[in-house]
Amino acid sequence: MVENYAILPCNGLDKCAGVISGEIAVKLCESGKNTIICPVFSKIADAKYRKITDEHPLLVIDGCATRCASKIAAEKNYRIFRKITVTEEAKRHHIELKDNLRLLEDDNSLVEIIVDGFSDAGGMAAGVSEESGFSFEFEYETFQKDKFIFRVPRNTSVYFNENDCWAYVIGNRARIGVTDFVQQNLSDILYFIPPEIGAIISQFDAAGEIESSKALVDIISPVSGMVVSINEMLVQKPELINENPYESGWIAELELTDFESDKELLIGFDKYFELMKKKVEG
Amino acid sequence: MSETTFMGVERDKIDWKPAIDYGKCNFCMECVKFCPHKVFEVNENDEIRLIVRNPNNCVVFCRACSKTCGPDAITFPDKNATTQKIKEMRKEGNNG
Repeated sequence: MVENYAILPCNGLDKCAGVISGEIAVKLCESGKNTIICPVFSKIADAKYRKITDEHPLLVIDGCATRCASKIAAEKNYRIFRKITVTEEAKRHHIELKDNLRLLEDDNSLVEIIVDGFSDAGGMAAGVSEESGFSFEFEYETFQKDKFIFRVPRNTSVYFNENDCWAYVIGNRARIGVTDFVQQNLSDILYFIPPEIGAIISQFDAAGEIESSKALVDIISPVSGMVVSINEMLVQKPELINENPYESGWIAELELTDFESDKELLIGFDKYFELMKKKVEG
Repeated sequence: MSETTFMGVERDKIDWKPAIDYGKCNFCMECVKFCPHKVFEVNENDEIRLIVRNPNNCVVFCRACSKTCGPDAITFPDKNATTQKIKEMRKEGNNG
């Protein structure tokens, strides 16, 4: 079951999909320790929800393709962890939404299907279209040595190990990858061996390998957890790691199992940036 | 590239280095060619031509050389035990 989420539904009262989005939010709150963010109140009471959105992963439930809830989240600079769109889910489940503003049998069935989808192990929401909430709009600090530029994202949710791998943590999920130090040292990356989906990885285990004409390196995971997805683009285009190892070149997404303990052996931007500079200077 | 500390612990206190099983090693020297950190050394005139010369150059948690070893002659310490030991040493360091 989805728990400890902040839930921002569209809640549009003039469309069936909006009413359904509100109903889904209510049901998720009834069945788990989730908190609703009222989209209307959030417009005038930013402080009330800021703490909640900072501390909990955010689930956005858009009613229709206008995606008002997503736009509110963007406007407020909330980090979206997951989102669904009711009209898309209705299509997927062959349920036709009409103009009614009180929920009918089919509408309630859709609510049940979506809420049940969130009940799967680990809140994976099978049957619910999943759009990752990891938005990569990092600000980078850069360091240049000769013609080589080394970037490090300045973001308090990004952690590093001293093996030059990063983990971008939101809620109980993390994306992992390598830093510019690795990709610059390898030069043109030619091959990517991903970790297996479903694999249980403990901190500092190898989570796949990358290889260039110069070397092969293990991707040493900064965090423990289960691999829930990999960046499939890299199988076809491993050079994305060279282009930007923090954004298009991410490696895998893990559901975290012991992040509080993992954190003990991780460092943040300031320390990693200094460490990387030392390594670059040799 | 060799660092004197790793995660705040002196590198030479961390037991992380390759061990060569000479019963399996065929002295192909692929590991030597592979490792950029000069962990291994070749002594052509010695009976044992390959040794781990610079264990502290070995990148903690890296096992990549073992993947280049055809006869599977290279092993590493238990990673979880090493992690635990590092945590303990960090605590001791902080308390001291």
